[in-house]
Amino acid sequence: MFDNILSGFSAILAVGPILGIITGVVVGIIFGAIPGISAIMAIAIILPMTFYVDPIIGITMLLAVYKAGIYGGSISAILINTPGAAASFLTALDGHALTKAGKAGKALDISLFSSVSGEMLATLVLILVAAPISAISLQAGPIEKVFLLLFAFTVIGTLAGESIPRGLLSCCLGMLFAMVGMSSITGASRFTFGFTELMAGFTFTPMLIGILVMPEVLNVIRRRRVPHHQLAITRSPNPADNRISFPEFRSVFRTILKSSGIGTFIGALPGLGSSTAAFIAYGEAKRTSKNPQKYGKGSVEGIAAAESANNAVCGSSMIPMLTLSIPGDDVAALLMGAFLIHGLTPGPMIFFEHTETIYAIFAGFLITDLFLLGIAKSGFSFFVKVASLRRYYIFPCVTVFAFTGAFTAGQNMDDILVLIAFTAMGYGMRMVGLNPAVFIVGFILTPFFEQNLDQALAIVGTEYHLLFASPFSWVFIALSFFFIYSGMRMRKKTAKNPPATEEECAQST
Amino acid sequence: MDRRKIDVGLSTFLIIIAVIILTNDNLVEGGAETDLGSMFLPRIVAGLIIAFAATIGIQSLKSLLSGAKPEGGEEIITDGFGGIFVYIGIFIGYWLAVPHLGFLITTPIVMLAIAILLGGRNWVPMITISVITPVLIFYGSREFLRVFLPTWTLT
Repeated sequence: MFDNILSGFSAILAVGPILGIITGVVVGIIFGAIPGISAIMAIAIILPMTFYVDPIIGITMLLAVYKAGIYGGSISAILINTPGAAASFLTALDGHALTKAGKAGKALDISLFSSVSGEMLATLVLILVAAPISAISLQAGPIEKVFLLLFAFTVIGTLAGESIPRGLLSCCLGMLFAMVGMSSITGASRFTFGFTELMAGFTFTPMLIGILVMPEVLNVIRRRRVPHHQLAITRSPNPADNRISFPEFRSVFRTILKSSGIGTFIGALPGLGSSTAAFIAYGEAKRTSKNPQKYGKGSVEGIAAAESANNAVCGSSMIPMLTLSIPGDDVAALLMGAFLIHGLTPGPMIFFEHTETIYAIFAGFLITDLFLLGIAKSGFSFFVKVASLRRYYIFPCVTVFAFTGAFTAGQNMDDILVLIAFTAMGYGMRMVGLNPAVFIVGFILTPFFEQNLDQALAIVGTEYHLLFASPFSWVFIALSFFFIYSGMRMRKKTAKNPPATEEECAQST
Repeated sequence: MDRRKIDVGLSTFLIIIAVIILTNDNLVEGGAETDLGSMFLPRIVAGLIIAFAATIGIQSLKSLLSGAKPEGGEEIITDGFGGIFVYIGIFIGYWLAVPHLGFLITTPIVMLAIAILLGGRNWVPMITISVITPVLIFYGSREFLRVFLPTWTLT
């Protein structure tokens, strides 16, 4: 493994990948910092531009956008109390309190250091854990894979939707849309209704941009009368208020380590995501803190806990995706699509078929943290200025990028129609509480599921009891029931203490 | 807007679609014979859709019939929806116009229209961005990505 890591570093330390990482970090911070644009939107818009470069450059660039975008979200949370995602809500709580006290520099600094520390720890875990897990999962044949994928559908559908039936319905709709076009197993055309354009199924990129990105644009259009907030760093005359000192960082280092651990663990479980990690880590840090009364009123420790856990999810959410082909959240689903487009099929075989590429991507993941630290620290004022641009400059450009991205996929105007149709569908799904990210997961995993199901039935013939002969099958069935049960318990708890929604976060400004 | 009413309508619609998938053999054409058959998985998924859609629909219908007021996410805020329809209209117009007028002519008009929709009135920077961005994208795509965006065809 050590040799692979070294060869990964030698592959990544070239002009192309480094330029890709720098571009990704800059784009990610800017997009993340603009209220109303999230990391997922930045990745989907950048994705078509990576089709034409080497996978190492393209994927590392997308991962840099992801990491920097998650961090960028904390800039608008701290400066104008507008968290781009629910996960940044807690950062906004303490960060904006510090901003109001003239200590925006301190809040931004601790947010950056915690984010980078959390991400680095999670990346190291990813590098050390992914390959051994993949070696175990290689033992799985088609029967085990069927149960593994059933487990993935159940877990993601159960945990990620607004309610269990809505989550599972979103997943089923994604599965149904994935079956449009020519069946890869039988060659039959399904649900094409005589339209030859549908024979190849729905083009992935326009559908992805339509379902995940454009509804956010529609949301901004809907809320266009909400006044624009200017991002500005408030500076105290005391230099100590504008930066984080080493003793201050040392005092919160234990919290960062613990929260990063929580974030890494939660990120590795499919379906839970960064919000859960941030809330659990923040709660745990508050419980064990010497000054719990400061939390919510400008606690540096609070920002450190929320940000390190939130960002640790970035690295560890790759573990189930790369080892078991299970995208844990919406960004992982999008990145899985990017891997597939670049000819890399996530799953245990990736470590054997594309060893150099995957370790180069891991090395890029680590190097991105260093670039993020350097670029973000040196360019705070610049990013804040760019992110303050009024939305009538930003969103027309986003629309054109979405159009171009959808067209680039197949150089076909029909794909624009797909984009428009899925934009309306994605927005409609959000309105009725269906989860577009779960829809995408269902869409991506269905071809693998159908293929493995066909192979599994060919193996067992008419002796269906053989499907349950492997211990793997029982393990995944048990895990599915466990996750459904814990999902129901979690929902009961959430119903008692509902967390702030994104809409509420945005309105709280 | 009360989301429970939409739930009932949507559930009914999805159940009808799922029943059609379960009963209609003309939704698949050709293909080889396999153990599974081409419609095995679609029909399993259709069955699950019926189950989940019915659960959602029945819950919402019960809540509506009991006369309970909508809670939390059940109340859909419709302020500003007019803008969404205008935006979708602009996008459809964009899709229809690009093959004929070309990307470089249509895009600045569309960008300007969206900027105005978002309340922009700073004409000089808005027009500058609306012209420069499409030019950069058009030539950038052509030179670096080898993607040829549509050009004027009305000759």
